[in-house]
Amino acid sequence: MASVVTLPLTLSASPSGWSKPTAAKPSSPSQLPLYPAGPSFISAARRQILQRSFEEDDKHILAAREKEAAAKEDKGDGLSYPGLGEEDEPQHVLNQDPKEWKKQDHYAVLGLGHLRYKAHDEHIRVAHRRKVLRHHPDKKAAQHGANDDSFFKCIQKAHETLTHPEKRKQFDSVDWNIEDEVPDLKSLSPEDFVATCNKIFAREGRFSKVQPVPEFGSLDAPKKEVEGFYDFFYNFDSWRSFEWHDKEVNEGSDNRDDKRFTEKKNKSERTRRKKEDNTRLRVLVDDVLALDPRIKRIKAEEKAARDAKKKGGVNGTTQNKPLSAAEKKAAEEKKKKEEAEKKEAERKALEASKGDREAAKKAKEAARKNLKKWKKAIQTVITSSNYFQPEGTSPSPAIIEKQLSELDLLVELLEPEDIKDLKEKIEKAGNGQPAKAVLAEKAKATGEKGEGKFTEFA
Amino acid sequence: MPHTLNTVTLTGTILGINFGQSYASIAVIDKEGHPQCIANEEGERQIACAISYVGEQVYIGNGAKPHLVKNGKNTIMGFRNLLGHTYDEVDHTTILTAPLLADSQTPAYTVDILVPPAPASKPASNPRSAAASGAATPNPAALEPVPSTKTITVPEVTSLFLSTLLNSATDFLGTKPSACVISAPTWFTPAQHDALRKAAEDAGIAVLQVLDEAAAVLVGYRVGDAGENEKRDKKVVVLDMGETSLAISVIQVSEGQYTVLNKGRDDKLGGREFDNLLLKHFSKEFTKKTKVALDLPCGPDASAADKRADAKLVLAVEHTKRSLSASSGAATCAVESLKDGYDLSSSINRLRFDGLASGVYRQVGNKLTEVVKEAGLDLAEIDEILLAGASTLFTGLQQHLSLLVSPTTPVTSTIDPSEVIAIGCALQALHLETLEDGLKVDDVLASIKEKVDVTSQPIGLVLPGQQGDELAAVIVDSGAPLPVRRRVAIPVQGVNGKVALELWEGKHEVKIEKVERPPLEKTDDDDEDEEDEEEEDEEVKTPITKKVKALGGVEVEVKGDNQLILEVIVQRNGGLNVKAWQEGNEAAADSFEI
Repeated sequence: MASVVTLPLTLSASPSGWSKPTAAKPSSPSQLPLYPAGPSFISAARRQILQRSFEEDDKHILAAREKEAAAKEDKGDGLSYPGLGEEDEPQHVLNQDPKEWKKQDHYAVLGLGHLRYKAHDEHIRVAHRRKVLRHHPDKKAAQHGANDDSFFKCIQKAHETLTHPEKRKQFDSVDWNIEDEVPDLKSLSPEDFVATCNKIFAREGRFSKVQPVPEFGSLDAPKKEVEGFYDFFYNFDSWRSFEWHDKEVNEGSDNRDDKRFTEKKNKSERTRRKKEDNTRLRVLVDDVLALDPRIKRIKAEEKAARDAKKKGGVNGTTQNKPLSAAEKKAAEEKKKKEEAEKKEAERKALEASKGDREAAKKAKEAARKNLKKWKKAIQTVITSSNYFQPEGTSPSPAIIEKQLSELDLLVELLEPEDIKDLKEKIEKAGNGQPAKAVLAEKAKATGEKGEGKFTEFA
Repeated sequence: MPHTLNTVTLTGTILGINFGQSYASIAVIDKEGHPQCIANEEGERQIACAISYVGEQVYIGNGAKPHLVKNGKNTIMGFRNLLGHTYDEVDHTTILTAPLLADSQTPAYTVDILVPPAPASKPASNPRSAAASGAATPNPAALEPVPSTKTITVPEVTSLFLSTLLNSATDFLGTKPSACVISAPTWFTPAQHDALRKAAEDAGIAVLQVLDEAAAVLVGYRVGDAGENEKRDKKVVVLDMGETSLAISVIQVSEGQYTVLNKGRDDKLGGREFDNLLLKHFSKEFTKKTKVALDLPCGPDASAADKRADAKLVLAVEHTKRSLSASSGAATCAVESLKDGYDLSSSINRLRFDGLASGVYRQVGNKLTEVVKEAGLDLAEIDEILLAGASTLFTGLQQHLSLLVSPTTPVTSTIDPSEVIAIGCALQALHLETLEDGLKVDDVLASIKEKVDVTSQPIGLVLPGQQGDELAAVIVDSGAPLPVRRRVAIPVQGVNGKVALELWEGKHEVKIEKVERPPLEKTDDDDEDEEDEEEEDEEVKTPITKKVKALGGVEVEVKGDNQLILEVIVQRNGGLNVKAWQEGNEAAADSFEI
């Protein structure tokens, strides 16, 4: 960038009679060796290599600096992650005893209760900073004159735990705010079953040493995906551990035996819990596998395929005549060719029909969405026509009821396109009898299905 | 252009190596992105370029120096300057260490070593394994190490030494450095550069650049990179005085680009001169105290006892020398059993030392004056003296130099002169490693040829109606690599109308003014002699720039007190683009091109 140096001069108005001196060429350049060193040399080399003029180079540098500044801003506090660490602070969280840190919900303390194990290091850093700014003992002392730093200690403990990878794993392993509960899967519809399982396995997957974890998948997932999922969860390698529940060794006692005994007990307890947890997961996967509607579907599909093959095979054998080798070969080639052609054609047809189908589907969906709107428009016309009653008389509730139920029926019977047509016509016809005529016409158009069901719109 | 070092994420770690004739040092870039000179395993930042073969052992670095006393013929020192030379080119009469073999290709040393007897599982060229396998032999009587001679060429010695530097850096960093910039003396030939590069690559490190020592000093001090407060065009002198030689370069700094105006060297003038002075001083002192005749430094035909005393005292005064430059108190020198069983224990203070060394100081000053004069300059025109090399640490020398130049010229040693070259190399490596816009190191370094086009005369400013024959301000100085762009701001005050500027080419001159001294008041009659000397008029030299020819002018309509910006671009072909506008009103600019 061009730096500007201020000269120790002051300009005054040009004297009268001054004229520009005629331009002359400066002396031709001389040659000197240059040291290829230093940032300025590199800038000059960059201009030369990339064939940039000073102005173009300025632009590039400016752009680079802006980019850098933007990157820096993202990293800074205050602007990024708005609202992070600013969750409500319930009283029971604020009144926690810092000594009871094993029972403390570290995420809640830092205001990360909504993120939990999903919070990454940057979140924790930012949230901690904001909490510290709010709850620093100095600030509290200045505000209330109170000398209470217990919550600040809790914050520090939470930060210490969550920024230490090992400790964080231990805490995440036993985070009691995330339930291991599984609802009764048998009573669920296939859609609900898939949705529930997706949730459950996303939750269980957090303990996997291998990341990313495959999703449970949708109801129409292909065989390969489903098998991959079950393979993964049957070979699940979990980092979940239960050190958090360890009993503290009595610090006061120097008794080595005591200490060893506690340690041994802790260790066996940990192993027991770990084993239990592994069993829990395995049982869960077993249950899910047994109930999975996709497995049933895949089995059915396979069976159908096998049957089809069998059938095809039977056909082939019946027509089979003793053939010479050349004939056989020719037949085989022909068959192959046919098959290839067929496949190609199928593929093309599939692609073509796919496009059409999709378009139709879209249109239908759009129409369905609009159905309610149209119905409302028709209803408005009916209402504003005083339910086709003579003016001045108020329609009896029975009539209103009847007309509305008939409208519902009409909407039900007609195709969405027809409803649209009806709405446009009825709006065009205007209030009163013309509207009724249009309705009657449409009711008639329902044909057999609507025969005798319309009295008001007949 | 002010350059801020960000904490950059490098692809690998980088290293700056100052490879001197007598001492080497290494620097790395720390986590904050600052260069830092690091110590080796022995805690030494100045690592002696010495290798000593003692039996089965090999000592490299400072540990090898004491072996010069007893084992001079198996100790290798001063090998750097031989790199890239053939045997015939080398002046081998002055080498006091291990003898050079007459070899037509590369000079090589022969040393006596002990090799482990057969079966020698590992080649003797690997010094460490040789020692280890010798110790583990099952039958010592049958498997005594065998005396043998070993031939080792200069490039091999260099690679061996550089690989120990690399090990030290690896130990410090925890990872092996991926690339380095290594310094070479200003007078190294391209063949020597290539030899050094190859030796370093044999040692296992990629060389980004072989950098001139003077350039490393300039990068190390970040000359022309300090931002707004620094002059954009400066003439600086880099004075590098090491253990064995003195190198002086006169550099034109143009916004951080360094063009070489002149360079000179004296390879007899170095820290060794100070050693000799101290040797002489202490040996006299020793003779005075003990009545044992000792005349040091001794010649090649001196007695063995004298030679031993010489070597012992050389090691001892090394320490004395360091104390002298480090602290203002008296520096001690103590040697046990210097000669005939007598010990030496003496001390010397700075004043005494400066008295001894004034001759050397004067020689350095003379050389400086000579080199500057050869560049066609006067000492008064020098804007800064940069010091490098451990010998410039003497405050006496620094004072002597500051008296030579004008009183406003700083003699800079803000970075430890013994470390600045290594630091400069590390910085340069950082600059090369963090190139932007997809530039490649080789392309960048190849972008200049041996010599580049520079402005031959200064271009400056003349205000209309200005009296005198000087330029009001210089905008582009001579010696600025083309193309060059400069922007200056000129304050405008109370003008509502037009302001005009003329651009002129100028010429540097030195104005000599005789200033008559105000007669000293006589306070004491004893001072009469001194006053006589001071009666002479004092010459005051000031560099000025004279007007030579007008290049053109600009006239700008101004309103208010916003300053006027003038932009001057000298194109690669010598053409000139000048543009002037009032700040915030670039649309109404006046410009001309030549």
